[in-house]
Amino acid sequence: MTTKRILLLLGIVSAVLLIVGFVVGAVGSRMFGLERPFVSQPGIHLPPDPVFPASVRESVVGYRVADKKTDDHGEKAADHGSSEGKESAEEEHHGLGLMQFAVTNTMLSAWLTSIIMLVFFIGGARNPKVIPSRLQALVEMLFELVLNFASSILGPEMGRRAFPVVATIFFFVLFNAWLAIFLIPIYQAVGYGAHVGGEFKLATHLVRPAGTDLNFPLALALVSFVFVEYWGFRAHGFGYLKKFFAFGDILRGRPSGLINVFVGILELVSELVRIVSFTFRLFGNMTAGEILVVMITFLVPFIATQFVFGLELLVGLIQSVIFAGLTLVFLSVAVSHEEH
Amino acid sequence: MVELGLNVPALISYLINYVVLLILLGALAYRPLLNALDSRVDSIRESLAAADRAREEAASSRSAIEEELNEARREGQRLLDQAREAAERFREEEMERARQSAEEFSERARADIARERDAAVDEVRAAFGDLAISAAERIIRRSVDRQAHQELIDQVLAEGEQALRRN
Repeated sequence: MTTKRILLLLGIVSAVLLIVGFVVGAVGSRMFGLERPFVSQPGIHLPPDPVFPASVRESVVGYRVADKKTDDHGEKAADHGSSEGKESAEEEHHGLGLMQFAVTNTMLSAWLTSIIMLVFFIGGARNPKVIPSRLQALVEMLFELVLNFASSILGPEMGRRAFPVVATIFFFVLFNAWLAIFLIPIYQAVGYGAHVGGEFKLATHLVRPAGTDLNFPLALALVSFVFVEYWGFRAHGFGYLKKFFAFGDILRGRPSGLINVFVGILELVSELVRIVSFTFRLFGNMTAGEILVVMITFLVPFIATQFVFGLELLVGLIQSVIFAGLTLVFLSVAVSHEEH
Repeated sequence: MVELGLNVPALISYLINYVVLLILLGALAYRPLLNALDSRVDSIRESLAAADRAREEAASSRSAIEEELNEARREGQRLLDQAREAAERFREEEMERARQSAEEFSERARADIARERDAAVDEVRAAFGDLAISAAERIIRRSVDRQAHQELIDQVLAEGEQALRRN
């Protein structure tokens, strides 16, 4: 009875929040003629923001509103196409240069993820016992899940060999994505900003999921690529290159060998394109998730975002499974002894 | 690509981050835990094998016990048979002995009888001699014809026979 009452109460509160959120959100405030929405329009910028050192942060992320207003506010407002009043802060994100070094908020997120992973996994794997503790049982279950997945694709022996690399990719992607959801307050509300017209505006988040930084999926894609090619060479020796440079038949004077040459070039291209597809699949999904969260928060604040978070949990899991799974599949293709 | 955020130092930093994570997790999490899982699998396999062995041992020891029990039963039976046989033999021997002593006894009795009879016959023979002498005396004393002679001999014989019967 009490549980039912609590649930009912929660339902009512949620419904009220949803309605209030809709009313004060971007759509409702326009419909009902409110002055401005509860959450100001978010600025979407793909490159991560530098956090340290502060000089780089300040030069790259333009949140010093007072300066802008005096210097070039009009120009910035025009740039961003903002329809808000003069008081609004114009965030400006130049992004880092190609070779410019700074600690970005996505890097901080990757470090945080790494630390949590190390604590969790090493805590679970330290002094393993025959009758496991709860943490050990949980970690064991996760490891066995990945190990069985790898073994199902590569067979038990090769699966065991590929496990460390693939499991690290899998858990890195998964933990990084889920951490941004479980630690929403830290990820969404902590950062650097400025006072604009007596109101504090956040310009840079201290941490932002590393998946939304192009460099993170690219690094993992390179790891995956190097790992696959390494095993390709290890399994076939330099004969592995014959798959890509299939000149054997042509040199023996068979005209049909042209087809093999063409197929080899296709193989080579597809091998290299994998890096790009790996990178943009993860980057796109994670970034889209983040954008969805901020946009829903902008449109209907408070409660509607919960559904997006649920969706994001699923997306994070799926992306990590895909990243690990594709690495395993490419690996199985590379080490297989079929003639191409 | 720079607009998307491509940044070489960041890329290198993520690569280093990944490699450090891989090395630390590999050394401190994956290897110990997977080894533990392996050893658990081994120990489970071993204990299952041990259970099988114990079951087999129990079965074999039960059959051994049954074998011993059967052996003991057979031994008991054998002893019983032996005893029965010994008793039978003893009985037969005793019977044989009894029969022998009975025969000896009857033999002796028969010998005694024969001896008695021989003595009686000797006695009779001696008596017949006397009778013959007395008969001859009587013949000589009275002369008789042939018929009287025969009657006399018959008479003597009858007397002798009576005397024999009396003895």
